[in-house]
Amino acid sequence: MRFAAAHKVASYLMVGFAYVALIAGGGVSPLIALGGSVALVASWWWEPPLIRLERWSLLWTIGSLLALGYSVMTAAVSADFLGVGAEFLVWLIVAKAFNRRAARDWQQMYLLAFLMLVAGSVLNPDLTYGLCFLGFVIASTWALTLFHLRREMEDNLLVKHAADRAPERVEVRRILDSRRIVNGRFFLGTGALSFGVFVSSALVFLALPRVGIGFFVKGRGGLSLVGFTDGVKLGGHGVIKNDATVVMRVEIAGRYGGRDAPGIHWRGVAFDHYEHGQWSRMATAPRTLQTLEESPARDRRFLLWDGPAQPSGEIDRLETELVKQSIWLEPLDSDALFGATAPRIVEYAHTVRPRKQPLEHNDEIRLDHGATVHYTVWSELQPPPPEVLRAAAGKLPAGYEAYLQLPREITRRTRDLARQITAGLTTEYDKAEAIKAWLIKNLGYTLVLAEPGTQEPVDFFLFDRKKGHCEYFASAFAILARAVAIPTRQVNGFLGGEWNEYQGYVAVRAGDAHSWDEVYFPGPGGGWVTFDPTPPGDIDELGRGGAGWTARLGRMLDTLRFQWNKWVIEYDLASQLALFKQVGGAFQSAATAVKQGALRMKDAARDHWPVPVTMAVLIVLALTLRRRRRRGVHAPVSRPRRRERSPIAQIYDEVARLLARSGVPRDAAVTPRELALRMAARGDPAASQVGELTELYYTAEWGRRSDPAAEQRAQALAHEIRTTLHAAHRAPR
Amino acid sequence: MPVPMTDEADPRLLARALPWWRRFRPPRRLSFTREGRIIVILSVGVGFAAINTGNNLLYLLLGWLLSFIIASGILSEMTLKRLSVDRRPPPRVFAGEPFLMEVVIRNDKRARASFSIEVEDLMGRAPLDKRCYFLKIPAGKSQRTSYRHTFVRRGLYTLTGYRIATKFPFALFRKSRDVLAPLEVLVVPARVAVPRPVPRTEVRGELTASRTGRRGEFFGLREHRAGDDRRDVHWRSSARSGRLLVREYEDEHARRVVIGVDNALPDAVRDAVTDGALTPVVEAVVAAAERAISVAASLAAVYLEAGWTVELCARDCHVPAGAGRMHEVRIARALALLPYVSDQAPFAVLPPRVESVLVVPRTVAAAGRPGASTVMNV
Repeated sequence: MRFAAAHKVASYLMVGFAYVALIAGGGVSPLIALGGSVALVASWWWEPPLIRLERWSLLWTIGSLLALGYSVMTAAVSADFLGVGAEFLVWLIVAKAFNRRAARDWQQMYLLAFLMLVAGSVLNPDLTYGLCFLGFVIASTWALTLFHLRREMEDNLLVKHAADRAPERVEVRRILDSRRIVNGRFFLGTGALSFGVFVSSALVFLALPRVGIGFFVKGRGGLSLVGFTDGVKLGGHGVIKNDATVVMRVEIAGRYGGRDAPGIHWRGVAFDHYEHGQWSRMATAPRTLQTLEESPARDRRFLLWDGPAQPSGEIDRLETELVKQSIWLEPLDSDALFGATAPRIVEYAHTVRPRKQPLEHNDEIRLDHGATVHYTVWSELQPPPPEVLRAAAGKLPAGYEAYLQLPREITRRTRDLARQITAGLTTEYDKAEAIKAWLIKNLGYTLVLAEPGTQEPVDFFLFDRKKGHCEYFASAFAILARAVAIPTRQVNGFLGGEWNEYQGYVAVRAGDAHSWDEVYFPGPGGGWVTFDPTPPGDIDELGRGGAGWTARLGRMLDTLRFQWNKWVIEYDLASQLALFKQVGGAFQSAATAVKQGALRMKDAARDHWPVPVTMAVLIVLALTLRRRRRRGVHAPVSRPRRRERSPIAQIYDEVARLLARSGVPRDAAVTPRELALRMAARGDPAASQVGELTELYYTAEWGRRSDPAAEQRAQALAHEIRTTLHAAHRAPR
Repeated sequence: MPVPMTDEADPRLLARALPWWRRFRPPRRLSFTREGRIIVILSVGVGFAAINTGNNLLYLLLGWLLSFIIASGILSEMTLKRLSVDRRPPPRVFAGEPFLMEVVIRNDKRARASFSIEVEDLMGRAPLDKRCYFLKIPAGKSQRTSYRHTFVRRGLYTLTGYRIATKFPFALFRKSRDVLAPLEVLVVPARVAVPRPVPRTEVRGELTASRTGRRGEFFGLREHRAGDDRRDVHWRSSARSGRLLVREYEDEHARRVVIGVDNALPDAVRDAVTDGALTPVVEAVVAAAERAISVAASLAAVYLEAGWTVELCARDCHVPAGAGRMHEVRIARALALLPYVSDQAPFAVLPPRVESVLVVPRTVAAAGRPGASTVMNV
């Protein structure tokens, strides 16, 4: 790929990923997002020589000023500084993309891309941000590396020097068009670097201490979903739509999960008061009784229900007996927290604690949260056995009369029906079971609503319409039970969910919203027990969603989304501590395993010592061979080996030393042949022998000829030279 | 300041130039670029925002920024690894004249190319004003370029080493490594246009040129020219090379000239030069002395070019008579390193029967100058 093209592609990818990260969260109005996208694509071709940029610069300046003015005004009016700022960023990046002239403009585009990513971190906490972030990391590594090289070659130092003329600039355009600088290996190398950067980012992200105090957290606002509502109003007409948006993901112990497991009632809100076809909670309703334990990392609430307060040690013991659920709850219109059937302990990170605890009634748990919240619940899933419930008898606790409330508009025939269904039954449990059985047997389930008009809705459901959805069934059960003096309340929440086999969690969707009832059995062994009077044929097990490839792909995507929420969005101090503990434990167990392995090996080596010795010898041998082979392969790169001197060269060296001692040294710049010539010219003693020896030396050392006769001759010459020099030294001057 | 640089020949100069506590610094230097400073500021800002808001995506961005800086450090380190540099100055460098220093860089890594490398020569601890840039050095390959530089003064310069630097991959900072590799560059006196004076001595001057003299020291071989003595033909070398080559001897008698240059400076001027207390007067005196040395060097070159035997005399300095290119190098080297001395230092007497030229700085008065057949006031 041409250098300039590679740089442009990488830069546009970087900007593109940041742009999508910003707009995918919905913080920017769709019109502006679409316009920005089209403009960014068009800017690809908006460059010289096709366009003369300076002609348009005034227009862009005026446009930018207008955009700034509009943004300031809109921000002042709407007070949505973040949204307006994001839209202004869109304008700026488009303006910059249309005015790419110098290196500085590219640099500003990169800075704007980063700012878009920062804004996106608040406006788009979805999985799309994570995917865009991954793309941004890869593209930014390419873009910034290429930008650096481009600027270096454009701005600085590519100057060709020549001795005979002034330095001249190398033609930059030629290098920008070159395909040799940026090739596949370059992209592979920088891609590997990007991967390293990404992994390192993840590690740094996990390791950075979470000491956030959450002053300026911007919540996303609740989701308005079809299904769950924090209140029940019977009546109205139309068709209830099934919303597939995931509102809650729950990790639960294996024996309660699986595609064949029965649905679990995820309890959320409960109502004590019924009037004019509407359920509500009264201010006088019994409060949620609970004890609160605070620690630096976590808050733990213990719900008493109708029981006495428990010491902390007892709560710890209960934790091991109850069913644990780790729940990631998306923001809803309600601040209620959900938990399976009968939540007893609720634990959440200290950082999400609200400044003012809302009032809680009817054993509800509430926690103000503007974003996805992660908490843990321990629940009692199994109700007491029927015989215990039948035997339960006692006095109602104070305030529980609220659960017997019946409005005047409940018709006589409704009350008569209740008495008729429970005639002859003596225990509360049998009566409740009878009412439930009657409703399931005699009434049908439908999502098509019919308008009851002025008729009391429960009466309309029981005697005229004879079919309805879960809220009708639950309301009818509560009214009929209360009509025979059984304390009952209506509960809203979710039922079941879809078991995700890839990660082992239950994905609860908005369409899983459900209504049921709780009946109170006073006295020892009693308590609140779940009764679901909706016909079971319409209630799915956790295996919903099917096993087709689209369903599985959907579940796989949901797994990614869940992991994103779990490990990125909701990663907090407690998760961090748990992770460190886990990593520490893994290291400890690995160390123990290594230690034990070493001990075992030591014992084995002691018993069979020839084996390790042979292995060690083989390893050393293999390493030596490998080293030799590598030396052979990389011979041109490795350092040249020292030349071995031939025997004649060694003789010559000896003679040279002798000559030096006799006052005829050979300087470093003088070749042996030059020395011989000089000696001959001066008529030095033994000059002719030195000349002959020099020629033999050249032939042997540089001609690489091995000749035993020449060696003998060289030795003879050396002897002659030694004798001659000795004689000359002793002769009178 | 026109002072010979002979005192910089110590190869351990780079280490000695540092105070002891700075010798423990790591072998790499880091200096942030503008982009690097921006990234650091962004990191601080994003970190502050992350802690303040508890927004995990900001923590993710912070993680990326920090990783980016770490990756930049690791990659620049890998880029600088196993690079070796060889600097090759031209055979002769003249004061005041630009020359090209050839720089050859080799990447000894087996698989990885090095990108965006800068090489600077170091004089003491400071880099020279010129640096060489290499965009890409493939693995196992070498590349060469050169830089143009001018030494304004004669003398022996020691380039203590070189600095290899890179801003690769993201230009966040410039990482450099100083390598101690002393390289001596002898800067000979500047070349000036100077005419050969008319010979004044008849006995041993031009007239003696035709006399057959005793052969002097063997100097070397050269191509045969018309009129050369056949006895001087070196048959063996001629047979080997295929060209007729003759022996050349340093002729000590024919066309001999003695060039004297007065390198005496008044004590006050020398003290001022040593102390670095340069006044316009001192600078003028020193410039005159330098001019004299340049004239002497150029004169020697002119005489030697014409085939004369040249002897050099100065205070505390003497180059025996000789001829040919090698002798020109000897004289140039001696003049390049010629120190300023007091006028008490003895000046060799110029032989009266040999052609002699004494070059003296015009504005400098000094005692003990010998007589010469020609005196040049420059």
